[in-house]
Order: sequence, then structure tokens, then C-alpha cells
Amino acid sequence: MDFIKDTLADQFWFSIILSLAIFGGIMTAVAYCILLERKVSAWIQDRYGPNRVGPKGLLQPLADGVKLLFKEDIVPGHIEKTLFILAPFISFVVALIGFAVIPWGGAFRWPWMAEDAAPLYCQVATIDIGLLYILAVASLGVYGVVLGGWASNNKYAFYGGIRAAAQMLSYEIPLAMMVLVGILTTRSLRLEEMVTAQLGVDSAAPMAALFGLNGFAWTLFYHPLAAVILFITALAEANRAPFDLAECEQELIGGFHTEYSGMKWALFFLGEYAHMITSSAFMIAIFFGGYCVPGWTWLNTSDSVLAMLLRGGVFSFKILLFIMAYMVVRWTLPRFRFDQLMQLAWKSLVPIGGALVLLQVWILYKDLPQWVSIVGNVTILAVVALIGVVVQKPITGRQRSLIKKERIVRMREALVQRG
Amino acid sequence: MVNETTQSAAGRAWTETDVVYVDQPELTMSERLYLPQVFGGMKTTLRHMFKMRLRKEKVVQYPEQKRQLRKEIYRGVHRLNRDDQGRVACVACFMCETACPAHCIHIEGVESPWPDREKYPIKFDIDELRCIYCGMCEEACPVDAIELTPEYHLVGSSRDEMIFDKEKLLMVYDRTKDEKPRKNPMITGY
Amino acid sequence: MAKIIVDGREIECRERIPVLYAALEAGWDIPHYCYHPGLDVVASCRLCLMEMKMPHPKTKEMDWSPKLLPSCQTPVKDGMEVRFNSDRVRDNRRDCMEYYLLNHPLDCPVCDQAGECWLQDYSRKFGEATSQMVEAKNVNPKKDVGSKTLLYQDRCVMCSRCVRFCDEIAGTGELGIVNRGSKSEIDVFPGVPLENELQGNVVDICPVGALLDKDFLMDQRVWFLKSSDSVCPGCSTGCAIHVDHNRDQVWRLKPRFNPGVNDWWMCDEGRFGWKYIHDERRLDRLVVRRGAEIEYPDWSALDEIARIRFGTVVKDDGEEKVAGVLSPFMACEEAWLLARFIREIAPKATLVMGPVPTEGEDKLFPQNNGDSAKFTIRSEKCPNRRGIEMILKNAGGPSVSFEDFVKKAGQSEFAAAWVVGGYPGEWVTKEFASSLAKVKMVFAQDLFSSPLTEAAEVVIPSCSWAERSGCFVNHEGKIQPFEAAIAPLEGCQRDGNYLFALSGESGLYNASRVRAMMAEVMPEFGKLHVPPSLPKHAH
Repeated sequence: MDFIKDTLADQFWFSIILSLAIFGGIMTAVAYCILLERKVSAWIQDRYGPNRVGPKGLLQPLADGVKLLFKEDIVPGHIEKTLFILAPFISFVVALIGFAVIPWGGAFRWPWMAEDAAPLYCQVATIDIGLLYILAVASLGVYGVVLGGWASNNKYAFYGGIRAAAQMLSYEIPLAMMVLVGILTTRSLRLEEMVTAQLGVDSAAPMAALFGLNGFAWTLFYHPLAAVILFITALAEANRAPFDLAECEQELIGGFHTEYSGMKWALFFLGEYAHMITSSAFMIAIFFGGYCVPGWTWLNTSDSVLAMLLRGGVFSFKILLFIMAYMVVRWTLPRFRFDQLMQLAWKSLVPIGGALVLLQVWILYKDLPQWVSIVGNVTILAVVALIGVVVQKPITGRQRSLIKKERIVRMREALVQRG
Repeated sequence: MVNETTQSAAGRAWTETDVVYVDQPELTMSERLYLPQVFGGMKTTLRHMFKMRLRKEKVVQYPEQKRQLRKEIYRGVHRLNRDDQGRVACVACFMCETACPAHCIHIEGVESPWPDREKYPIKFDIDELRCIYCGMCEEACPVDAIELTPEYHLVGSSRDEMIFDKEKLLMVYDRTKDEKPRKNPMITGY
Repeated sequence: MAKIIVDGREIECRERIPVLYAALEAGWDIPHYCYHPGLDVVASCRLCLMEMKMPHPKTKEMDWSPKLLPSCQTPVKDGMEVRFNSDRVRDNRRDCMEYYLLNHPLDCPVCDQAGECWLQDYSRKFGEATSQMVEAKNVNPKKDVGSKTLLYQDRCVMCSRCVRFCDEIAGTGELGIVNRGSKSEIDVFPGVPLENELQGNVVDICPVGALLDKDFLMDQRVWFLKSSDSVCPGCSTGCAIHVDHNRDQVWRLKPRFNPGVNDWWMCDEGRFGWKYIHDERRLDRLVVRRGAEIEYPDWSALDEIARIRFGTVVKDDGEEKVAGVLSPFMACEEAWLLARFIREIAPKATLVMGPVPTEGEDKLFPQNNGDSAKFTIRSEKCPNRRGIEMILKNAGGPSVSFEDFVKKAGQSEFAAAWVVGGYPGEWVTKEFASSLAKVKMVFAQDLFSSPLTEAAEVVIPSCSWAERSGCFVNHEGKIQPFEAAIAPLEGCQRDGNYLFALSGESGLYNASRVRAMMAEVMPEFGKLHVPPSLPKHAH
């Protein structure tokens, strides 16, 4: 009995047990995400969605899984075999290992642990550069897509892979900028510290809590513009609509996964949904207060096991909201054209992001109070709107057509030529 | 050729007054910023998402419920009509095969054994899997022999099974003639 | 050359041809049924009527004629001015078309002519959509006028082309017009059916669906057919033809205008003699025998097999023991490639021309009028004897007649032979078969299995002419190209393809490319006989 207690109280063993639990949880969550996606799309389109397998269709993921497992796994003859098989695994594994640094429940102590003992962290790995780790791992995800597209030896797949690579490269920059804003605001690279910084009650904390509520100093409130941009880039990084150019069915048949079938195809999708969950968790930790519930001091700060479990629940609930947002966006917006995609990244997100980073750096350098950033954000938005008025073009770049006068002149010329 | 392109249907040459200029509407401020429009779109989708009533009214739970069809115009499985003597009404003119955009009809015509007709189909195959149910065959038929029926529960366990031959198509007629009687009387003389 | 003015435009044309034909050649679309350039002019259809400028009887001023004149019967004269674009001409055409349709059953959906019917075309272009006819239409049942031809009298426009053809070209005169006025009809005399050997042509020249081919009856709608320019392999006349095919199946042959060779016509023997193309007994795979063992190698292996086996024979028995038999059914290009291959392996090899099938005497038409033959069916029933002779002459070296080859082979003077067949019927005689048994190694390239292919070590399935491309040299030395109409039978390859590879060339066989190579050593192959095409709106 003591052995079990000791094992549980040891951060190393606890991390291993936690990682297993998270793995199981995430896998189930991913399977149900797919069901949720189908349900949400159905509701939005005034349908019911899958409702035949089990009560309300709740066993549908099981049926899907069985089907995909037993489906014929076609390996075409014209492919680069090693990479073809490797690609979905890269995609899937990379999406999963990002969870290692997500601070699910913060610090706690088992009831049998001494009051002054070092607290355990409900987190698989508490490392100094947790944030860099997650960025690095998320960037690796594109290898699965690019390799899969290239190894398929198929024009559609190849285009899909190329598009994915170009898109990732472009959106990584605004993403990194927004993360930098988060780091500079919370002044830490450890995700768990970034979350505690957003409690905002500590006198040493850089940010003051709104309305004096414990846990209500979310980075979101100090950098709303940055949060929006981060969400946009997260959509792009996860290859979700309206940024799903790598797999767009209408043009590329399925893009990088055109040649995949059965379980290998399913792995790509499990990877995509796992990536959605990771990126949501990541955004929540940096900008949306992590597990904090505004005003509930006990939950936010207690080191009891119950509080830890509740905090995990709060975190998961926030993830669920984000995933719903992802889905609603997907079933609302049409896909960007590729030039629009690039234009959006390089001509609007990157300059705005740069301005935001400069703003935060200036605040730090001059040691100004953090609320200045709110003013700065509003100012930047106003400037962008002003530029929009002057340039007369949407930020996504609609194709310019001839203005009316020009066209009338051309029409006349054509008529004259015809006689 | 020149006359055809520069003259209007009335036979008069085009003038500038015939041309209607359609311009792209100017973008408003919120359209240019894009994000407000995104939220506008999401408002619509979310409204639908939480409207249970629409779902209940519109969704047909097939196979427990079946759709109310407009039988006269529904384009389902084909049938080959019989004339009043019970013979196949088709005269093997190949018009449906010619009109078919999916190339799913295959006919073999031979001299008919009946005095009132020149030709009749000895083979008449429709590949129901290839068919796109556009109804062009029905439009093209000069004797209204081929028609599309309101029958849409079409299943088969093999591709061969889904190639309907003459007997099967006539059987479809026998099954659906009460539901959708043959439109026009037979034209004799072919 | 004469210059005339048509519709205000000056055109140049040959002297003494009808105005109608001059206008057709210049691109006008003048409706006509009875006029055919190969037949006498009767000016009975009244569709081609025109207005002409002529001196006024009193004032002698040039003015448009008060009555319409048939353009088919008016020869061209320098300086004449005619017009087709006046209202009177248009009204005449419209009224004529209405008359033509008075008794027409309008059964286009089941009529085989639909799609290439000049009644349809002219009704649409020059006629009206409505008819004023209220009386019941004349009903006239179809008549079985000959073994290959059906007559649907209902659809006839009484242009009398078929009657004139039988009188003037075939010279047999079976068809005639009986009764008068609206009751007149085409018919044969009792007991004298339409049985001449050119009867298929009456179907071609019939502008409507009245005369139809029993062989093609109800087989296909004509708009499904694709047409390839080809040359008839039936006899040494070398008629230019269209091969009409659909989904890799030949449906019919039609003559192609070829002045000086077959004009507008072709014989029934050639017209219906293509059925062997789709014979089920055709050879369809490459067979290699090693003793009692039979192998079916891939086509890519043929090159190696041929080179190794012929090489062994040359080494063991000597070069002069090799022979190649070129068939008069081969295209010149194929024969040249094969001869080149054999001469390359064994420069002293003997080249032989295969048997030339003959049948009776040349048949001249019109019959009983040998002096001015308008069409000839040759007795030599192969398309390319002259071409093979040219190739053999050019190749030089030892060459013997087929009889001598059979004799010599019987005396075991040959150890290896490449024998090409391609004859539509049986051609391997008993003597030939028994003498082949003395030849150690035989490569047989043929269409059907015969004692030759039974005995051969390597059997190469050949293709019919419709599946190949190349050129034939006809009896008077005209080199006429033909194109491949359909894909080869499954399992076969176009003969040119493997012969091209065998002769050491890389890339794909292309008849014109091989001809260019041949023209370097045989300049006569640089100039082909390609007939002019008919005016677009003539028929």
C-alpha cells in the first residue's frame, strides 16, 4: 500500500500514469470529435446526423473504427513504400506528443503527502521550455502531410503536400509572433507558470485581474487582437477549413491523402483531430486562462486532489468549446483561394503581429503598466481599419475587376472593331 | 457566321443599348475587414444549429418514412412501356442511346415481326449504375416507350445485376403502370 | 478555264461542266437530287433551279430570265451570270421540298438513312416545317428488289439515280420506273431481280432512305460511325474506300471518290468482303514451340526470339538457307521492313513473293461494252502485287518465284523461312504444306490457323488491313495510302509495330515515317496517289 502511495507521490511515475491516462482519453476524445463533427455539420444543415448506431448514434465511432480496421488497405504500386507507410504515423504521433507539456490541473498534493512536500504537477512534463517544445512538435506535423503527398506519386497528392508545406511556413510566422506576445505578457516559457500568471492576484504578477476576480487576468483581455490572430493561425496549422487547401476535395480529390485508404487514412484523421485538441489546449493555456475559473479562488489555487480534478474538467470543457468553434467555422466559411491564403498571412497577419510584438516589447522596455496594451490593441485595429478604407481592398484580396468606365470603353472598341 | 454572332434574335444588329452592364457591388467597410462578415456567417449557421423545429419538419427518416414524390415528374428507374397489345412499344430508333449523355443505353434493333412496325429492339440494356437519371432518353423517345418511374429503391449486389435488360425494364413497367400510367397513346406507323 | 458570276461573285471553273457543279466546287450549297457527276443529266428533281441573265427578246438588254433554269443542265460559258440567292429560287426550293414530303412517311427514327439523308438536310435548310397536305398519304410497302438491297418506295424521291446507274454503269438495267405521276415508283421486272455485281452503289447514290443495304440494315445509326480513309484490299484495282467503324468494329465499307481508279463506285465483292476481320477463328496470340512444348511469350520477346533463332540457323546452315515469303496482302512498308530484317540477318537470303490469287477474268462494266469501261473488277484478288515486286526488285539478291520456292523447299534447300500470309481465305496448298515440313524452322505470320501455322515454330498473329496502316500499289502502279481504322484484335499487334522493332528501329511504327525512309532508296514512294475530295455539298 505504501509502495503504491509512494509511487503515486513520485512525479516521474505519476507522469507515466498520467500520460497513459491522457493517451486513452485523447484517443476516445478524437473518435468522438469525429462524431461531433458529423453531428455539428448535420445540425447546421438542419439534419440529424448519424443516429443509427447505438442510442442517438453514440456508438458510431466504434462502427467507424471497426469498418476502417477491416477495410482493405490498398497500397498502390507506384508509390515510395517506406515513406508512404511512415507518413500517417508521423502525422499521428506528432499530434499526440504535444500533450506532454499541457498543464491539465496545476499543482496538487495527495492527502498522504506532507504539507511542505514539493507539490506534484498534473502535467506529463514540466520543462523550462515547454512552449518551445510544443512549437517544435507542432511544426513537425507538416512532415506527415508533405511526405504522404510526395510518397503517393500522384499529382493531386503532390499538390496537396506542396500546398500544406507552403501554408505551414507562412502561418508559422504569425503563430510564433502571437506566442511571443504571450510569453512577453506572462513572462515565462513554462506553460504552467503562464497559466498561474493569468490568475492575476499575486502582487508580483505582471497582469492585474479584472474586477479583482481571482483567475481573471487572461492574456486575452490584454491582447484581444493577438488572441484572434492566434486562433486564425491555429486553424491554418491544423489544416482546418477555411484553410484546408491541402486536402480540398473539389480541386484535389483529397489532396495528400488521395491514395490512402483504411487505417492509414484513418490515422491522418486521428492526427488532424488530435492536432485540433492540442492547439486548443495550447491556446487556452497561453491566452484563455488555462484551467482558471474567474472568481473561484479555491479551485484556482487549492492543492487538493478534488480541485486538481475539477481544474482538469474546466480545462477539458474549454477545449470542447474551442473544438465546437473550429467546427462551426468549418461549416460556415468557404475555402480561401491559395493566393488569398498567402495574402492573408503575409499582408495582414504578419504586419499586425509585428506591431503587437513591438507594442509588448515597448511596454516591457519602458516598464509601463500592462493595461497600455489594451489601448495599443485598439489603436492597431483602428489603424488597420483606416488602411482598409484607403486601400479599398478586402484583406483577403478579392480579384480586381475592371471599373465600370473602363469596361464601357472596351466594349465600344470591340463593337467598332466588329463593325 | 458573322451574321449569327452580331445579330440579336430579332434579326437586328446589336447596339450599345442592348448591353446591360453588371458591376460587382462595392465592398462595405465590414466586408473589407472580413472578420465581421465571418461572425455574420457564423450567426446564421448557429441559428440553424439550435433550431430543432426545422430539423423535425424537414428530415425524412428513410426507410421508416418515405418522401412524398411528385410521381408525374420524378426521375427514378427506367421502364419500357408496352403497347395495348402487350408488346414492347420501343421501335429501336436509338434516339435515347444518342441523347444519353452517360452512354448507358445499349440497343440492338432488328426487323420487327409485326406488320405495323419496321423495327423493334431484340436487346435493350440500361446500365443503371452509369445512368445519371437526367431524363433525356424520355425526352428523345418519339413513341414514349422509355419512361422514368417514381421507383427509387434501387439496390443490387453486383454490377451485372444493375444492368437492366429488356425483360427487366418491361417488368418495371408492369409494376409501375398503376402508379404512373403511360402518358401518351401509342403512335403507330413506325 | 471559264469565268462566271454566281450571286454577284466571280468564280473560275472548268469549261463545259454544269453550272451546278461549278457552284458546288466553289463552295455553294445548291440542293440537288437527280444530278450525279458520274451519270447522265435528267434535270428532274427541280431543286437546283437558278436565274440566269439573258438578252431580253425585244430590247436585247441583259436581264434575269423570266423562268427558272436547271443549273445541272446548263453548261458553264465564259462570262455568264447566274444567281441562286433570289426570292424566286428560294421559293422554288421551298415549294419543291413541300412536294417531296407530301407522301413521305417521316419515319426518320427507324430509317437507316437518317443522319446522312439529303431529304432531312434539305428540308431543314431549304424547306418548311409544316405541310399543307390534308389527304391520306400514299402507302407503298417495302420491296425486296435484290439479294442485297431493299427498296422502301415510301421514302423515294424519284430522282432516278439508281435507274441510271443500272443502265449506264452496271449496264444491266434491272431497275426502271413504272406507273405515272404521283403513283410512279421504282421497280424491277418480274423475275429479273437486281443482281448485278455493283448493286451496292445504288444504295450509296440514293440521296434518301429508299434503297438500303440489307447487310447494314438496322445495325447501327450512322452518327455513331467513325470513318477512316482506306483502300479496298479485294482486288488489284485498289478502290479508295471509307471504313465506317464504331467501338473497334467495322460496320460497312463505302466507296471514296477516286477519279481514274474507281471514280464514285466499288464492287459488292469488296464492299461485303470484309467480314473475315471479325472472324472468331482469327489467331490472337504469339505462339512459340520448342519441340512439343508450347509457350505464349510476351510481344516484347519477339525481337530476341527472331534474332536468336535466325542467327543460329545462319551460323549452322549458312546464309543462303534462309528465305522470306512476302505476301501481296502486306503493305509496302511492312514488306520493306521485313525484307530489310531478313537481309540484315542473312544478306544472301532468298526473298519470295507469296502466291498471287486470281479468279477468272477481269470484269468490265458496263457489261457488253468493253471499249469504254467505266468500272473494272480485276481478276487478281490481292491489293499489292506491284508493291511487293517493287520491294523485291529494290532489295536485289536472290529471289525466286513461289512455285520454285515450294519446289526448292521440298528438296530441303532451306533451313529457315519467314512466311507471311494474310489471305482472307485458305491459301496453303498441300504441296506447300508438305515442302514446308522439310524446312527446319518456320516463322508464320498469318490471320488464320492453317497447316502452315500448325507446322511453324513461331506463329505470329497478323492483322487485317483495317487494323494496319501503310500503302498498296494498285495494278497501274498508283501508290495509295490507307490508315488504320480499328484497334487490333486483343492479343495481336499491328504488323508494322513488331516489324519496325525487328528491323532495328526505335520508337513507334508510323507508316509515313517508314515511307520517308523508303523514299531514300526508292524515290517512287515519295509521291503518293491521294484522290481529291468531293465538294463539301456534293453527293
